[in-house]
Amino acid sequence: MRCEMANIDIADAMLVDRCRCGDSAAMERLLRKYQNRIYNVILKICANTDDAAELTQETFVKIIENIDKFESKSSFYTWAFRIAVNLTLNYCQRNAKLKLKSLDDEDYEHSTNATQALKEFLSDDSSPDPAMVAQNKELCEIAIQSLMKLDDAQRTVIVLRDIEGMNYAQIANVLQINLGTVRSRLSRARNRLRQIVEAILQ
Amino acid sequence: MNRSYQNIDELLNSFIDGELTASQQSEVERLIAHDARTARRLQQLQKTKMLVSSLPRARAPGQITEQVKASLAGRQLLAQQPVFSKREGTRQLLVRRVLAAAAMIALVAILAGVIYTIVAPEPVPERPAERAVAVRPMPSLAAEAGFSGRLELKTAALVAVDGFINRFIDETGLSDFVSVERQPGQSLYSLSCSRQGLNLLLSDLQSIWQKFDSTTLFVDTEQFAEPVMINAISTEQIAEIINQDSPNKAIEASKDFAILNNMAELMPGKQILTAIDDKKANLITPPKPVFTEYPKKAKKTDHQPKELNLTLVITGSE
Repeated sequence: MRCEMANIDIADAMLVDRCRCGDSAAMERLLRKYQNRIYNVILKICANTDDAAELTQETFVKIIENIDKFESKSSFYTWAFRIAVNLTLNYCQRNAKLKLKSLDDEDYEHSTNATQALKEFLSDDSSPDPAMVAQNKELCEIAIQSLMKLDDAQRTVIVLRDIEGMNYAQIANVLQINLGTVRSRLSRARNRLRQIVEAILQ
Repeated sequence: MNRSYQNIDELLNSFIDGELTASQQSEVERLIAHDARTARRLQQLQKTKMLVSSLPRARAPGQITEQVKASLAGRQLLAQQPVFSKREGTRQLLVRRVLAAAAMIALVAILAGVIYTIVAPEPVPERPAERAVAVRPMPSLAAEAGFSGRLELKTAALVAVDGFINRFIDETGLSDFVSVERQPGQSLYSLSCSRQGLNLLLSDLQSIWQKFDSTTLFVDTEQFAEPVMINAISTEQIAEIINQDSPNKAIEASKDFAILNNMAELMPGKQILTAIDDKKANLITPPKPVFTEYPKKAKKTDHQPKELNLTLVITGSE
């Protein structure tokens, strides 16, 4: 894993250097390389496809405009995600009131199948397969709705770790916080998420 | 949740995420093996993580790359626009304000000029009569006779006119009061006669007045070098002048006619004369002289008062 990341970093560094020289092909390669991952993280944080697309576009414009300011102290990967996350969290703050109203108005009524699937998933005796969970639309819907009930900071740390697969150091780099904060915030976020999910069954 | 439980949760989460050192990991494994509650908690946390990490990955819309390129191109175009520094901007603003003020002043000046040309009276041409008597005391007649002047007439029919005047002198018996001097192309009559005699002459001359190309009367003042000159004078105007009660009035009348005739000459169609002739016009119009019938065969009279001196110069025009 570390070897893979190192290779990615080396490739990124080359592309960034070429980008700085005005190589539009390198620029496009960077864009194509990260667009899906960045879009996916943004979408899981803001939960709106149109806004996610717009924020992704804005992220890449900002990345390319500020590529000269990028210092190699951190990896391009975490620098790019820092821009994406900051833009998204700013967007979430601006739309906080709207989002709260929307959540209040929304009546979560899960189908019997969804409740049953969740019950089986959480059962102490079960040892579910991740592929099976991914194919279960009811469970995915419950997961997304539960994520949106977390506050922005908790949701972000969960998304970066469990969806994007960043390690704690990378998360700390992206969010500009120390490792201990990452550890505690992630722990509280998972605990809260567990409570939200269990509340669905009651 | 107490602090120790929080610490266990953090430890278990770090264990799940592979963020523990080897010794910490061994310690957690030992703990799980001996504590069913901790093992159950670990399972809950693992399932919570799995619920999120199993979510399908979303793919960015296909047009993201093109949209980014388009957005960058648009911003590049904006960046190519000239950006002025604050100082340059201030200077440009100042220049614009000065230009605007100058334009306003020029506009006001032009408008003032236009209004002045509409409202202001047309400049009156310099009047020779006024120039002749400017800043001088009111002149009085030089001659005791009450009038002294020279009437210059130009005509192409010098011989006919000369004969006409000679005939008049013979018929009216004024030969004693007239001395004649003839030069090539010019006849000079020096009259020293009464008003009555001169009026008679004017009455006769009126019938041939149209034969004169130019008619100019010079009325002498005390300043002999600066007589009042009246161009294009008519017989009526001459009669008006010589029939005044006093020499001063005669000079005043002369100046008025000089001004009027000069203005009339300058105006197209001689409108001033039309205005003067129009009785409705609000102008001071001198009364027309009344010619008194004079017996054509008047006898010579020695007692005719010698009130007027008039030199009549008739010049032949080429």
